[in-house]
Amino acid sequence: MTPTATETAAETATGTATGTAAAPHTSAIIATDRLSFTYAAGTRPALDDINLQVAAGDFVGIIGPSGAGKSTLAAALSGVIPHYWKGSFYGAVRVDGRDSCEQSLTDISRTVATVFQDIEAQMVAAIVEDEVLFGLENFGVPKADIPGRVTDALDLVGIADLRRRTISSLSGGQRQKVALAAALALRPRVLLLDEPTSELDPASSVQIFETLQRLNREQGITVIVIEQKIMLLCAYARTLGVMDGGRLVHHGPVRTVLEHIEDLETRGVNAPRVTTFTHALRRAVGAGLPLTVTVDETESALRRAFSGAANDTTHNTQGERDVYAPL
Amino acid sequence: MAGLLDYTDGSSVLHRLNPLTKLVLAFAVCVAAFVTGNLWYLAALLAFSLGLGFVGGIGRVALRLLWTLVRVCAFLFVLQLLFIRAGTPIWLFVTDVGVATAARVSLRLMDATMPLVLLLSVTQASDLSGALVKVARLPYRYAFTLMTALRFIPVFTGEMAHIIQAQTARGVPFDTKNPLRRVSLILPLCVPLLVSSVGRIDQAAISAEARGFYLRRRDSGYKDYPFAVRDGVALLVAAALIAAAVLVR
Amino acid sequence: MSMLRFDRVGYSYGDGIAVHDLSFHIAAGEFTALVGSNGAGKTTVTKLMNGLLKPQSGTVYLDGVATASARTSRMARAAGGGVGMLFQNPDHQISKNTVLDEIAFSLSFGSMSRAEQRERAAAIADEFGFRADAEPFALSRGERQLLALASVLVAEPAVLILDEPTCGLDWRECMLVMDKVRARNQAGTTVVMVCHDMEVVGDFCRRMLVMDEGRLLADGTPDELFRRADLFGQAHIAPPQMVQLALRFADGDDALSRAMAPTADIQTALNAVLPLLSARTVQSGTCGPVVQGGVT
Repeated sequence: MTPTATETAAETATGTATGTAAAPHTSAIIATDRLSFTYAAGTRPALDDINLQVAAGDFVGIIGPSGAGKSTLAAALSGVIPHYWKGSFYGAVRVDGRDSCEQSLTDISRTVATVFQDIEAQMVAAIVEDEVLFGLENFGVPKADIPGRVTDALDLVGIADLRRRTISSLSGGQRQKVALAAALALRPRVLLLDEPTSELDPASSVQIFETLQRLNREQGITVIVIEQKIMLLCAYARTLGVMDGGRLVHHGPVRTVLEHIEDLETRGVNAPRVTTFTHALRRAVGAGLPLTVTVDETESALRRAFSGAANDTTHNTQGERDVYAPL
Repeated sequence: MAGLLDYTDGSSVLHRLNPLTKLVLAFAVCVAAFVTGNLWYLAALLAFSLGLGFVGGIGRVALRLLWTLVRVCAFLFVLQLLFIRAGTPIWLFVTDVGVATAARVSLRLMDATMPLVLLLSVTQASDLSGALVKVARLPYRYAFTLMTALRFIPVFTGEMAHIIQAQTARGVPFDTKNPLRRVSLILPLCVPLLVSSVGRIDQAAISAEARGFYLRRRDSGYKDYPFAVRDGVALLVAAALIAAAVLVR
Repeated sequence: MSMLRFDRVGYSYGDGIAVHDLSFHIAAGEFTALVGSNGAGKTTVTKLMNGLLKPQSGTVYLDGVATASARTSRMARAAGGGVGMLFQNPDHQISKNTVLDEIAFSLSFGSMSRAEQRERAAAIADEFGFRADAEPFALSRGERQLLALASVLVAEPAVLILDEPTCGLDWRECMLVMDKVRARNQAGTTVVMVCHDMEVVGDFCRRMLVMDEGRLLADGTPDELFRRADLFGQAHIAPPQMVQLALRFADGDDALSRAMAPTADIQTALNAVLPLLSARTVQSGTCGPVVQGGVT
């Protein structure tokens, strides 16, 4: 049951559907099939009929207003639901092709490494190095390999210089990176992060996303990130999922989802300012403008529209799909 | 800004001692303090603990801790003077037996607290649990519980400090000079602290499980904790402290 | 008359200087943002403002009174409006079992009669759309933040200090909080807000203090400071997207650049660009149907 990557691109490109009941696809490293979940103490479902396919190698952002079920979805993808939080669980989550109910939480975490929202609560050690060590010891990595694995993980995140520092002396952004390194040391195929930048300043937030992008591109690690800051997702994610009231209401390439800008705003999700701008511009002028999601794109779209060179608009939007400029 | 029980990194002799040796040493001071009733020896034990702090390079932490303990013990001291009626009165309600007993109890309390807190401040919780598992053969589950409890102490004291600041800022008179009033104001705040700690402990448990906690065996630990000559010396000191306590009783 | 005045204020936590020789003043009725990266000293400055921290050197004056000689809890409920502070984490503030008790608690240490406390608390609960008997810890994160804000506003503070009031909120909740704050500011309350979101700063604040490593780097209106490139690198702040966009056209000499360069928000940019673009499209005759970019 090893997934093949050939159909990945096509699958993501056409997976624009708003809750389409697509059959579990073999190229998906994580797939949910009509997933619904109600907490034991809850009255209404926290997740309602979710069909999410995450292709191997994708960079997925999940956004939505508070109470939309984002953290519950993260818990379901990481196996915390149904293994830790109890409730009524319908449908299925397949991690690397296997049903999450049939694997233990620890087994799932061999594929999916999760960085939870409360960084302080998940730290087990006083020193950076020992924090990274914890998982390696538990998973029985041969002792001869351990120092190398620790070094690699710290290097990947770019914090080799923090190795001997005490965690209590680190800034929020640095702690986030330590948690990321500890997760990476286990060599997961999927990294799942729940609001990693909620307590960080803009510069540290960008740094975390730069790191995630590098891991995604260079190591081929699938990244799923729950994030409130739409501008970061637009600059770094390839696929966007929008949740509202426990449902996955939009899911597809970032630009495709942002085409629903008006619907997003009624749900309490704002588009980046430049997107609102080009959207308004396009409505006023009509032709010749693609919907842009970053400042870089907007600048070039404006210049092109102004110079009148934008005759083949379809071609232009295609060409811009790979522009992921920093904010 | 090291809080209570926060680990302070370093390479002093104390840092390099086996975690178990440190534990034994701390308990030896404790035992000695309860064996002896000699006020001079109790004071000497306190000086020894303070010395440990300076050897470990955390002299400032030690002094601050001592100051906190002195304040608590001064309160206890006065309370005891009030209640102990035996002996001959020397001044107002104060009796000679009262002074001796109150001093003994206060010193013992300081002696019992100081070394343990100071030695824990120069020991990583993960090393302590590692040594307990590998050397003392404690099941990992218990060692991890102990380690987590220790780790959460500074987290919760920090959280409490935040809560008190937030309440002061909205007009609750925590900055009053009256200590009894302060205690009566703090008690209701245990509710929000409890609510947030339950959530955090859940997070810690989930995260440990996701990182393979249940796969761990006794020999999983990467580090070993061999005993060195300095450990032997420290254990001799520990034995000597207790022996001296018996002698000067 | 300045409401808040920092006069050569210094504060250090022991392991490093948090605030160094800081001087500025804020007049009554201002709406000021305090920006800078984590560790720049912003939170320390807010705590110096209401006396939670006392300056180790220099003096902080709140409405003419040095904070060093006043108790924070008294300043919080000073007659004629004290200083109210909203913390980043609302859960540190909440300690009662119902929304009404929680809000009324802010008034309970003053001289107000119990009936009046309940009445004012009920009015605020109503304004914020809370059920008076709702349980605070059953509310969502965003609602708890609003409750914490309501509990601060019920005391009708003359100075309102907000430490990242929009952190952890979704966009709609963020606007709800900011609208309440703006309404109070328009009624005369002095507002000082620590904020990382430059879009929010650009939309709501009229003055911006930029801090870095405990020092004041710049003081001015958001519009002028957002255009100073030297600040971006030093204080790690990025201007709002529409200003970034305008800056891309700052050096150009064509009609588009001249139109875009001075714009600061969506509306001004639209007004500047639309006449140019519609002339273009009509000229080159490419008035086709609206292109749904990216949809296959």
